[in-house]
Amino acid sequence: MNEKTNRIGILPIGKVPEIVPQSIAAHISGCLDLPAIILPSLKNIAGCYNENRFQYDVGKTLQTLESIKFKDIDKIIGVSTVDLYIPIFAYVFGEAKQGGKAAVVSLYRLEKDTHGKKQPSSIVLERAAKVMLHELGHLYNLFHCADEHCLMHFSGGLQDLDASPLYFCRYCSKYFLDARSKS
Amino acid sequence: MDDKMSIMVVDDEKIVRESLFHWFKKAGHKVDTALSGFEALEKLEKNNYELMFVDIKMPGMNGIELLGKVKTDYPDTIVIIITAYGSITSAINAMKTGASDYLLKPFKPDLLSLVMQKVVQQKKMATEYNYLRDRLEKINRFENIIGQSSSMEKIFRLIPEVAQTDSSILLTGETGTGKELVAKAIHAKSQRMQKPFITINCGAIPDTLMESELFGHQKGAFTGAVQSRKGFLEVVSGGTLFLDEIGEISQKMQIDLLRVLEEKKITKIGSTDPIDVDFRLISATRRNLENEIAANTFREDFYYRINVINIHIPPLRNRKDDIPLLVDHFLEKYSQEIARKVDRVSGETLEQLKRYHWPGNVRELENAIERAVVLSKSRTLKTTDFSFLQPSPVTRSGALSLNEMERQYILEILKQYGWNITQAAKSLDINRVTLHKKIKRFKLKKDA
Repeated sequence: MNEKTNRIGILPIGKVPEIVPQSIAAHISGCLDLPAIILPSLKNIAGCYNENRFQYDVGKTLQTLESIKFKDIDKIIGVSTVDLYIPIFAYVFGEAKQGGKAAVVSLYRLEKDTHGKKQPSSIVLERAAKVMLHELGHLYNLFHCADEHCLMHFSGGLQDLDASPLYFCRYCSKYFLDARSKS
Repeated sequence: MDDKMSIMVVDDEKIVRESLFHWFKKAGHKVDTALSGFEALEKLEKNNYELMFVDIKMPGMNGIELLGKVKTDYPDTIVIIITAYGSITSAINAMKTGASDYLLKPFKPDLLSLVMQKVVQQKKMATEYNYLRDRLEKINRFENIIGQSSSMEKIFRLIPEVAQTDSSILLTGETGTGKELVAKAIHAKSQRMQKPFITINCGAIPDTLMESELFGHQKGAFTGAVQSRKGFLEVVSGGTLFLDEIGEISQKMQIDLLRVLEEKKITKIGSTDPIDVDFRLISATRRNLENEIAANTFREDFYYRINVINIHIPPLRNRKDDIPLLVDHFLEKYSQEIARKVDRVSGETLEQLKRYHWPGNVRELENAIERAVVLSKSRTLKTTDFSFLQPSPVTRSGALSLNEMERQYILEILKQYGWNITQAAKSLDINRVTLHKKIKRFKLKKDA
């Protein structure tokens, strides 16, 4: 494996608790056996804010992340605490362009349960890791999987996300390994 | 079942089209987009889409109008309406027009996921329903005989009844009406179904050969009879013998067959030993045998022997209700056989096919559909795909003048080509200027 070309950069956006990018980097190394480094924080993504929706446009956010050049980084995962959206959806936990270079994960909707109650940090970190690994799957061109016991199965809500495992099914694992070796 | 679908997103807002495009792409679906109802209809002409997401508010043609057109021309396509201008009225309107669901944007991601699950379920149920309906049709009707007109329903009821008897049957009807299919259906429903069904086209076998073909011969019975051979009447033993074009056989052969039917015995050419035979005779003819009897070319006694039960199969022009069903059947058959995605006929074309007089009956219709499927450039067959059909003969009401005949014929061709002057002129083998002059001279009008 060529470590240089498969290096994943974790980019905190704005004020993000230090443990979050660390946990994400650890999951990338532990679950996918990929080297991950934490990059210097990006101050903000004010240009992506939509005043009508009080949310950040995830499409513009991804464009911003893709426009930043980092040496020896293959894929970038942005980590943020702001509320993200795409025009048709009320919100998203995270987003990635299929086969693209950048993905973004938001903690905004992961920190509470469906009744608005704050969740323990262990749960929030696990949720963030799941969203990030799922989006990273898309960056390596994996599609949504029909298997409910696969990380690539689509999770539209917190309940689905909590039920989702932290690993790919054997087909997605195989596909991921193939895609990684080709990238 | 494969959950991956072919989806079209129709929205005038680029950002919405792109968002949904990428979301469905991630799920592995085949996605296409259209920015207007017109573009969507154009794409539907060329490709099959199982699912469409349609925005209500669009310039030109709104989502409800598009939904109506899709449900008329492509009823199998599932449509989900999306809008930012949701109201109970528009939701009810959309659902009444045939939308499967209604989404108010922006919606929660899990809502779209739920809708997709519902759509997959709906698609699965539709597939099962179509499969069961096909099976039921095959059980209730008879494979390959299609019809829903009252005359065909009568025949469908008659087939199982007559199949249980051993009486001789005479099938009458024009060429191409499906007489052999009816004969096969009777055999298939009879006690003799496990035994052979043999067809002899009496018009295709010379009289001199017919005797040997039917009765068989002993070795050395005539020059060239180098070995003994069983005739069809012996081979068919226990089964059904179908004599097509019975009106073509000679009087001598009529006498020979009459004897066989009465005695149930045959004697091979060159032999003196009679052999017992057991078969059910079904004959068919396109001729009017009673006229032949009157003209002394067909034996009356033989006629009554073969005509214990008469089944008349009406020509296609007298059962036009069956045309849409037959068209669907042949379209499905040939689009699968030729592996081309041609799966519908426009309403105008169906009317054209119903108007046509079909001298070759179902066989001609089948050939016409096959030809049109092979040559069609889109998935919908149009009137121009059937331009090869000869126009119906002009109805005579007394003696028409040559001028009137010409006027009616030109009008017929113009209607056939939807008043496309270039195509009509080409069909009439005259130039466009001449056609314009004739239209003016005959005072032909589009709404005439």
